[in-house]
Amino acid sequence: MGNKQVTFKEEQLEEYQDCTFFTRKEILRLHRRFRELAPNLIPLDYTNSPDITLPPCLITSMPELKENPFRQRIVETFSEDGKGNLSFNDFMDMFSILSEMVPLELKMIYAFKIYDFNKDGFLCEKDVEETVARLTGKELRLEERRLVAQRIMEEADLDGDGKLSLLDFKNMIWKAPDFISLFHIRI
Amino acid sequence: MSDMTEPATITRPLISSKRHKSMRKNSRRIYSPYQDENGPSDDEDKDGERVDSNDPEEMFQNIQLQKEIIANIRTKPWPIRRKLKVLKQAREIVLKFEGRLTRTRGYQAAGADLLKKISRVLYNIVVLFIPWEMRIKKIESHFGSGVASYFIFLRWLFGINIVLTILTGAFIVLPELLAGASFGTIRSKTIPKEHLSSAQDLDTIWSLGGYLQYSVLFYGYYGNVRKIGSAGYRLPLAYFLVGMAVFAYSFITLLRKMAKNSRMSLAGASDENFTFCWRVFCAWDYLIGNPEAAESKGAAIINSIREAIVEEQEKKKDTSLAVLISLRILANILVLLSLAGSIYIIYFVVDRSQKLEQEKPELTLWEKNEVSVVVSLITMIAPSAFELVAQLEMYHPRTSLRFQLARVLVLYLGNLYSLIIALLDKVNSMSSAIPAAPGNVSSTSYLATISQPTEDNMSTIVPDITERQNSTLTMTLLDFNNSVSTIKSTASYGQAMRMQSLLNQTVVYEYTTRSQQDPCWETYVGQEMLKLSIIDMIFTVASILLIDFIRGLVVRYLSDCCCWDLESKFPEYGEFKIAENVLHLIYNQGMIWMGAFFSPCLPAFNVLKLISLMYLRSWAVLTCNVPHQQVFRASRSNNFYLAMLLFMLFLCMLPTIFAIVRYRPSQYCGPFSGQEKIYDIISETFANDFPLWFSKVMSYVTSPVVVLPALLLLFMLIYYLQSIARSLKVTNSQLRLQLQTERTDDKKKVFQLAAARLQAPEGADKKTEQESDITSMESSARSTSPTRPNGSVVNFESPVRHGNSIRTITQSASRADVSRAAGVAWSPSAPVRQKHKAEHVPNRHSGYLGGSGSSCRSKSYHHMAYNPSARYAEHIHSDPLFRKTHRPMHKEPGVIMAQSYAGHRAHTTRYVIVNEHEARKKMRSTVRLPRHYRLADEPAEIVELYPRNVKRYIPRTPHRSHQPHLSEEEEEEEDPKSSTKKGSIRQSQRPRSLSDLHQTARFYIGDTVDSQVSMEQGLYGDEEDDDQDEDWANDSSNLCSQTNIPESTHRYVEPHVKSKSKQKVEPSLTESDSASLASSSDQQNSSTDQYIQIIHNKEKYLKPGTKPTKKKSKNSVKLNVSASNDLVYSNV
Repeated sequence: MGNKQVTFKEEQLEEYQDCTFFTRKEILRLHRRFRELAPNLIPLDYTNSPDITLPPCLITSMPELKENPFRQRIVETFSEDGKGNLSFNDFMDMFSILSEMVPLELKMIYAFKIYDFNKDGFLCEKDVEETVARLTGKELRLEERRLVAQRIMEEADLDGDGKLSLLDFKNMIWKAPDFISLFHIRI
Repeated sequence: MSDMTEPATITRPLISSKRHKSMRKNSRRIYSPYQDENGPSDDEDKDGERVDSNDPEEMFQNIQLQKEIIANIRTKPWPIRRKLKVLKQAREIVLKFEGRLTRTRGYQAAGADLLKKISRVLYNIVVLFIPWEMRIKKIESHFGSGVASYFIFLRWLFGINIVLTILTGAFIVLPELLAGASFGTIRSKTIPKEHLSSAQDLDTIWSLGGYLQYSVLFYGYYGNVRKIGSAGYRLPLAYFLVGMAVFAYSFITLLRKMAKNSRMSLAGASDENFTFCWRVFCAWDYLIGNPEAAESKGAAIINSIREAIVEEQEKKKDTSLAVLISLRILANILVLLSLAGSIYIIYFVVDRSQKLEQEKPELTLWEKNEVSVVVSLITMIAPSAFELVAQLEMYHPRTSLRFQLARVLVLYLGNLYSLIIALLDKVNSMSSAIPAAPGNVSSTSYLATISQPTEDNMSTIVPDITERQNSTLTMTLLDFNNSVSTIKSTASYGQAMRMQSLLNQTVVYEYTTRSQQDPCWETYVGQEMLKLSIIDMIFTVASILLIDFIRGLVVRYLSDCCCWDLESKFPEYGEFKIAENVLHLIYNQGMIWMGAFFSPCLPAFNVLKLISLMYLRSWAVLTCNVPHQQVFRASRSNNFYLAMLLFMLFLCMLPTIFAIVRYRPSQYCGPFSGQEKIYDIISETFANDFPLWFSKVMSYVTSPVVVLPALLLLFMLIYYLQSIARSLKVTNSQLRLQLQTERTDDKKKVFQLAAARLQAPEGADKKTEQESDITSMESSARSTSPTRPNGSVVNFESPVRHGNSIRTITQSASRADVSRAAGVAWSPSAPVRQKHKAEHVPNRHSGYLGGSGSSCRSKSYHHMAYNPSARYAEHIHSDPLFRKTHRPMHKEPGVIMAQSYAGHRAHTTRYVIVNEHEARKKMRSTVRLPRHYRLADEPAEIVELYPRNVKRYIPRTPHRSHQPHLSEEEEEEEDPKSSTKKGSIRQSQRPRSLSDLHQTARFYIGDTVDSQVSMEQGLYGDEEDDDQDEDWANDSSNLCSQTNIPESTHRYVEPHVKSKSKQKVEPSLTESDSASLASSSDQQNSSTDQYIQIIHNKEKYLKPGTKPTKKKSKNSVKLNVSASNDLVYSNV
């Protein structure tokens, strides 16, 4: 697609490569994917970096996100307004963070944000219950979910304040064997 | 910390926006010095000037800093817009100032840039060539990371095999083809006449005989000429070295990969139990993008959570233990039996084929291939049988999976081993048969030199010879051999027909001669391995097509016309069994390693095999498989696969090495023909091709004198490394223990605090009196303070101020008490406290002057307060540059203020400040960042870049992680300083936050007193030890109070702290402030209460006193800040 018309300027690509974990090919592919979501909204030419955002419903319809129980939260986390409207930059940022090369540290921060449903900077029991609910659908009863949330608090809440801070969360994830391999999306 | 005063429910966006701003500010600060606006009056401006002063060192450092930022920007948890902005700014700076550097530096920088660019381009290119990326991604999105891990593993194996192929191809096959004797010129490269007719038959080719047997595919084809071609390529040597290199390379890559993997999986020795957490937070595979996979993953997650719940609720007892045990025993017996059976069958088959070969001249297709077919059949069927058996055992799925894997691995190994042992056995009998043939040795040289051209001549001579043989029968065995061979070669002419009688006699020798002429056991082993590999591939393809594809088709299309649901009941769709498939790959690779020495083209064949497997498998998986029900953990299994592969490699290497060492190479074929042992080639090369001294050296080196000590050394090294690893492990566990105790301490403290609160009324009483009178003083102070414009140090004499300061001190002290209730005896006498503080304040200097009486007496948090100053002093002391440049003595008070209010806070926050303070200092001293930003109009935007710098420049502080605080803290710290320095002029410009100014003011008084104390550098040094201790203490306290948050996480913590601290503070607070009350609702416990409290303080005190205009601002903090500023000024 970059053959006839230039999508990005060279320096833009350089900048994107500095800011994300993508190669130029991947950046171009991302742009293509982004454009596929709304072909008539998104211009092919991004040299002047237009500030167009796509609504969350479009983004979450991507096959990569479609099945993800946290898709709404993911999109919200990476959007600038917190409502899930993503510009191309945000879009790229999202997949960059979720890509393979990202250090665990960074992933943990964003995972924490994603699981923090009420955005208060902590994972409280409500957040955890919500997480479990999204994971399990309607399979688990409310008491079961609550139990799980309580257990989680017992396990990971180091300072005993009844909610998980980012630090608690990191401490827990740090020891998880496969978080880093599961918390990524290939695009 | 401006959001501190907001309700605890502060939302993240708000914070983040703040961070955003502060970041921008920060970046601005970094390049601001270069905007020419420095005023000489200002300290920071001087800083800026300094940077501007073309000092190449500084500039270089600054540029380095910027580059660091550029390099690491992608790992920042910022929105991308911010990243881009910062990046742009950093780039600008780099661009702008790089030119100013000296030329060499410029070149260096340009070179580095170029290098970076090139590496990026290279990386882009390399990525382009990673095969099957999209395919794997697609699979990943459909089936999750488990299935994908199989394909990634396959791809990795493919990479290894490519390298092996290149190795063998470039160093053995190609030279042989190009420069070696061509086909048909040498006996070992010639198809025997008797086989010539059938050489092109399909079944001959199928069994790798005929032309294939006499080709570069196998060992036997390679010539034993020491040097070939005009360049004198030493083919035999190369053959040997490459054979070894194949193993060496495999080992090295494997080990490296494993090391990398284990580095990545940090789980290591964690015995901590996060069952539920992991099952919830690490459950979802974000790769999944396919409804079916999502569904099954969801089901798996539900199962695992349910399981955990059940396990949690009751460690359930086994109902019928006896039955279970007997079942398991039975299962194991069955497995063992089938293992033994499979091994026996293989051995039997090899034996039978050997016999058949000897007895029957013509073998059927089945007979030729039965070995490989049987082996492949076993490898296919047995795992399913094991799986059936495993159902008997009723293990937990994960355990049973492990059992299954272990059994299959044993089976595969058993297969390979029994095969190779049988083969070697055969080789043994072959080579023992050769010496049995009389005359064998003597004829060697002659036979070996026979070449095709001469054969024609010989055949003409033959009649004579044979006639003579006929008549006399006294010929030598040599002649006999000769005649036999010539008979064979001339058999087509019919001349041999006339010599029936001779033939009858020679029939006895037929076998001998055949084995003599065609005795290449290496070729034979190679053939078998290649055959095995081929058949294995055919079976794999067949099983994919039959078991997966046909089954899929049947299930898909016949389910309508069947009485039960095919899709969910019996045949179902095939599952992709990751574990078995991976094991199969490993097995396959094992075959390659085993045979590679005898059949140099085996790796090449394997490459083809892997490619086709890749396509076929991925196609089959996508079309007719459903995701595995069991959750097979991908990353953990990664190293597991590799470990198995390593095991396989080792075990496969053994037979080859054994054969090389133990057996004599074939006499008439292969690169080592004529040698006693294969490895003789090395010593021969040393003897012939290296100078004499070298072989001498080698003989020394290989003598026991050297080898034994070397071995010993190796053992010692291993032991040493192992003990280091052990001690590290111990340290690790100790640290964890420490963490745990800290944690329990923390909890204990909390409880004690609660207890203390019950007692609080008593304590509060005492305090109240004390505080009440202070408050009155304070109120007066407040009224005056804002108007006080100036920062002269001497001012503290004014009684009002004095009272103010004292009040705050006491307050802080009392608060400290509360927070400390756990550890410290509740000493409520306020006056005493006060005094203590007062004395403590002067002590601060004396503290680092060496006599740290107060520090001993006061609790750790007091110490902390000293810390920074001590540090600071130390810095000054150690770094003259720094001292000279930016911290003239009169500024000392500012620093101390920072410390002092640090002292008021809870451990955590305090600590942060300390740290940062020091960090900052250091940074300044080294980096010399301009500090203009203080003057900048957007006050809140400082810091985020800072953490990084700090990190870099203060390797020794264990607290780097706290840097996120910087923005606010820094400002806090700066404020007092700048205010003292600049006086009222600046004040209006800097509405910057910060809270604790109030306190700082208080302490300031004490400090100013102290400021007179001359700073004696030597004495500072004394404090260092103390300092270190404190560091440690700080560290631990941080741990427990959770403040050592890596950058950016900070914001989460803050609200947390806030909420916690509020209520605790309450009881102790006698003064009731609306703000504090509001926030004090929840009763939680932590050690961090003081932090908040301070803020409240500030708020309380400041609000009333300050300018109304500022009050309008929504952010109460700001207001406080400005107020506090005022206070400070007035104080000063």
